[in-house]
Amino acid sequence: MPEPTARVEPDEIRRWLSERAAYYLERPVEELDPGAPLAELGLDSVYALTLCGDVEDRYGLVLEPSAAWDHPTLDALTAHLLAALERG
Amino acid sequence: MGATEEVQGGPAGAGFRSFADGFRATAEEQPERVAVRFCTAEREEAVTYGALEATARAVGRWIGGRCAPGERVLLSLSPGTGFAKAFLGCLYAGVLPVPVPARGTYARQEARIAAIAADCGAALVLDDDLVESAQLPADGGGGTPAAVAPRTVAFLQYTSGSTDDPKGVMVSHGALVHNIRLLARNQGWHSGMTWCSWLPAHHDMGLIAMLLAPLHLGGTVVLMSPTDFLKRPVSWLRLIDRYGAEVSCAPDFAYDLCARKLGEEQTADLDLSRWRQALNGAEPIDPATLARFAERFESAGFRREALTPGYGLAEATLCVSSAAVDEPPDVRLFDAAGLAGGVLRPPGPDAATVPLVGCGAARGLDVRIVGPDSGRERPEGTIGEVWVRGGSVALGYWRRPEETARVFEAVTAAGEGGFLRTGDLGARVGGELFVTGRLKEMISVRGRNLYPQDIERELRSLEPAFHGLPSAAFGVPVGAREEIVVVQEVRARDLGDEGPEALARRARAALSARLGVRVGGVVLVRLGQVRRTTSGKVQRTLMRTLFRAGTPQAFHAVLDPELRTVLAPVRQPR
Repeated sequence: MPEPTARVEPDEIRRWLSERAAYYLERPVEELDPGAPLAELGLDSVYALTLCGDVEDRYGLVLEPSAAWDHPTLDALTAHLLAALERG
Repeated sequence: MGATEEVQGGPAGAGFRSFADGFRATAEEQPERVAVRFCTAEREEAVTYGALEATARAVGRWIGGRCAPGERVLLSLSPGTGFAKAFLGCLYAGVLPVPVPARGTYARQEARIAAIAADCGAALVLDDDLVESAQLPADGGGGTPAAVAPRTVAFLQYTSGSTDDPKGVMVSHGALVHNIRLLARNQGWHSGMTWCSWLPAHHDMGLIAMLLAPLHLGGTVVLMSPTDFLKRPVSWLRLIDRYGAEVSCAPDFAYDLCARKLGEEQTADLDLSRWRQALNGAEPIDPATLARFAERFESAGFRREALTPGYGLAEATLCVSSAAVDEPPDVRLFDAAGLAGGVLRPPGPDAATVPLVGCGAARGLDVRIVGPDSGRERPEGTIGEVWVRGGSVALGYWRRPEETARVFEAVTAAGEGGFLRTGDLGARVGGELFVTGRLKEMISVRGRNLYPQDIERELRSLEPAFHGLPSAAFGVPVGAREEIVVVQEVRARDLGDEGPEALARRARAALSARLGVRVGGVVLVRLGQVRRTTSGKVQRTLMRTLFRAGTPQAFHAVLDPELRTVLAPVRQPR
């Protein structure tokens, strides 16, 4: 299990999330609009959950299965993660 | 053809050995054997046959104190060992278990559970807390399973049709045991084996193949939650490895997910050499998935022979046919023009081909290929609707006599009755069943039969802007004819200077040329507009309904004037 990162910058989280999403979408990361809904980027519910699993492993958090729906853009997911990490 | 081999243990009157009888025999003979093991990242829970039997008796008494025999009880349980306890408890009490998803994750699931509860007139909903409290008075005594006959309804399996119109398949005790025996014989399943599954227990494949079969046969099943699988697909393969499971089933998308998305570093120490049967069913099987999975995990010891494609449906309890074990999957190239004409034949020189996956020979069931309108049986190699008769076929749909008569009591032109109409199209080639698509989704244009998945694949290959994005092809009736319509997702940024109109016109012309028939309409929509199920299946019938209502937010639609006459106007926001 990776160590939870001590201090995380919003840009770092957003960049990392974008890279994972780009990997699942099989598209270059620079094409992804972090403000666009994940569903409109083409990320279906199967990959949305896989993305949640990646987040949990990297940041040592447990996300609700619906996190990617409750926070449906990369920006919103970033903000949600930051808040969760600050709560500890 | 047509001869039904009697599967041992099938409905046989007085000597009938029910599902629960098989389970109790193991509980008496090997009470210490693990029946169900549930694993999460943090914990494991193992329940032996002896403990499961005692718990089932307690739960059965608890239910019996609250429900009359024959009443329906929803099982709305989180992944774990609770489902097996509750399901068996229902059989002990003589009530009908109705598996549904656990509550509370998504609004859409809540609506589905409510619709099922109303449809079956549920007397009780068993959730995790209730099952927990119901098993407390485990003081032994009393409580053997209610006596059953082969034609007694064992449980209701709600099909994954539309949310607001759920249909409950009445699976009889005879059909359940017949199908388990059929699977056991086809696959060589026995009591010494270990199964491993992440499939939800309210799904027919998860319930029959991966939970009830091992419990009836005296095997051990290792379970994990569907969410854990989707979050970390590698955890499924690790669990198979850790417990040396020989059997694990999943729909095609799960194999695709693992083959595409697992990094080498995640799978370096994985050993899949003991996984003998990787059954693939419940949705159309993509030959490319089989090849990709076998290649990707060869280094982990996975053998191509383990891939076992199968075909079935809840109306036949689960399995109709499955490929031979310990043989590589039978992927054959057929002539594309032949397929469009309703025949599976080897391709001519330089002819376009379509790969299809063989789903084995049907053994133990009477399977016919029949003209859907004529009822006439079709010869080897000719495509028709798959009809099934025999011990595994369910009794019908709960309280829907008309649909039951139409679907479960079909009669061939030769006057042979009692067939289940599957709604699936396929043909027999060399005794093996090849499924080609859904009858409802096939598009007939000027004497040619076109399958939506083939049209969608052609369209994707035409324009770089379509690459990797979903589309839905369907037929729209215009008078007595049917017109092809395709809804294709595109990214706004890929529309470039030429704009959506030029792209749609070009795509329509090129697709018509490629298919050799006129395409009535091409609709370009934003990402996310082509509806898919949670497992990624394109919902074509739904898309047709949305299209006719003018619902998709289109960038642009090029449509025949005749098509426009049968539609509500398609909105074009910009």
